[in-house]
Amino acid sequence: MRSMNWVGLYTLTRREVGRFFSVYRQTVLPGLISSGLYILIFGFTLEQRIREIDGVPYTLFILPGLIMMNTLTNASSNASSSMLQMKLLQQLPDILTAPLSSLELSLAYTIGGAVRGMVNGILVLLLGVFLIDMPVQQPLATIGFIFLVSWAFSSMGLLLGQLADTWDQLAMMQNFFLTPLSFLGGIFYSIHMLPDWAQKLSLINPIYYMINGIRYTVLGVFDSPPLNSFLMALFMTVLFTTAAILLMKSGKKIKQ
Amino acid sequence: MNNPAVHISGLHKSYEDTMALCGVDLTIEDGQFYGLLGPNGAGKTTTIHILTGLVIKNQGVTEIYGKDTVKDFRFTRSQLGIAHQELPIDWFFPLEKLLYFHAGYYGITQKNAKPRVEELLVRLGLEDKRSARLRQLSGGMKRRYQLAKALVHDPKIIILDEPTAGVDVELRHELWDYLRELHQNGKTILLTTHYIEEAELLCEKVGIIDKGKIIKEGSPGDLTRDLGKAGINVHYTGWNDELNDALSDFSFILEDNRLHFTVRDPEEVMASIIQILSNHGCHIHSVSTEKSSLEDVFLSLTGKGIN
Repeated sequence: MRSMNWVGLYTLTRREVGRFFSVYRQTVLPGLISSGLYILIFGFTLEQRIREIDGVPYTLFILPGLIMMNTLTNASSNASSSMLQMKLLQQLPDILTAPLSSLELSLAYTIGGAVRGMVNGILVLLLGVFLIDMPVQQPLATIGFIFLVSWAFSSMGLLLGQLADTWDQLAMMQNFFLTPLSFLGGIFYSIHMLPDWAQKLSLINPIYYMINGIRYTVLGVFDSPPLNSFLMALFMTVLFTTAAILLMKSGKKIKQ
Repeated sequence: MNNPAVHISGLHKSYEDTMALCGVDLTIEDGQFYGLLGPNGAGKTTTIHILTGLVIKNQGVTEIYGKDTVKDFRFTRSQLGIAHQELPIDWFFPLEKLLYFHAGYYGITQKNAKPRVEELLVRLGLEDKRSARLRQLSGGMKRRYQLAKALVHDPKIIILDEPTAGVDVELRHELWDYLRELHQNGKTILLTTHYIEEAELLCEKVGIIDKGKIIKEGSPGDLTRDLGKAGINVHYTGWNDELNDALSDFSFILEDNRLHFTVRDPEEVMASIIQILSNHGCHIHSVSTEKSSLEDVFLSLTGKGIN
């Protein structure tokens, strides 16, 4: 058993995926419903006033941002809540005493979160395709980018879940950082509509690059070069995955 | 495997300002039933958690069949089955599924785990509960599940942290019978318990741990014989002074018509004492023996009760 414990990795991944599917009313449907509401309320009503942005009808313009917001919030909250729940419900000792390495544990949690991120992102994508006939210009690149962002934010969620001691701390990350940064990342507008200083500020918001990237692969329009979005997603993936594995290996906050 | 099942030497662990373990030395031979006894906060659970990888040691050697528990964690952890003291809660999966997951963590596929899972569900009386969620189970049922989980990958060494805490007398006896059976089938068992009777009945060897150190080790019989007090009380009539010489090999007190002998093992010397008294014309009305329990030894060593 020197090399990878593949059965162990597969089992823990299956558990992680099964966990969120078993409560799909909490983990899958809400994102779909809220995205539908955004399309109805923001899209159809605001489209009376803002007809097009960058030559794209307003309802279509906001959809890639909604895909991204759903993807990254679900990916991060799956890994973080699962890890914290296992800590608080005394389930963690079962996996920490099993012959699973830090790499295998981290991968299983990250894959679990990434699958939830992808499921949620793709469902909103399909909602756009079926509800408002959204054309997807580069389907494979879109799926690939959703996967990359899901992985990046799932590993970030795992990192947060390891560090957190209470639900309050996790909620703080979600409410004070992820949601505001998503809204400020240009879901509902192009940053070219902002004053200069706000445009510059948007460029330090990593979620802006995620939204910009998906908007390019779906609609073919972008505010910044798409390569920057890809590089930012790749950088976040490498950074958070490495940090999550190293933290797991150190045992900080999960072992005494 | 000629190495001992468990070998711990010079184990130290501190939590911030508290020294939890200060030089634990412990060896458990393959196939032995070992009990670790100690008051709350003595270091029992910390020792177990270091062996299983839940706590990071400061220094010392921890080996399972001669392999280091950190460097060779895949080997050492696959030899161990652990029933933790704390009962877990799971909202998502039925009990049977959780057992398959647990086997999977140890590299056993669902197909290969099936016969073992079925056997354990039947043997531990969980067959009717296979589809139940853990939150729906009673405390006793959760204990059975903990044991099933510890055994699902058929480990060589079983670590039981307070396995009968909070269960009723009937179930406790059932679990004891099962632990005896496991031991007879060659399993090495490390048990921590609040019930000294449990250690006395089941364990071949007992280690008493206090303030982070093993202060005494031995079989329950040896410990009570060596460290406990034992005596023989004789109620008689017809004392004569020759008996002072005849009983000179024994330590005794004479009080009214009663003799109290302090001995190591009452069963060993009782017959000789009765014979000497009878040969010298004493009429014996009654004989009784008294013996320290392991609990008395524990109290005298640690100065406190186990609870």
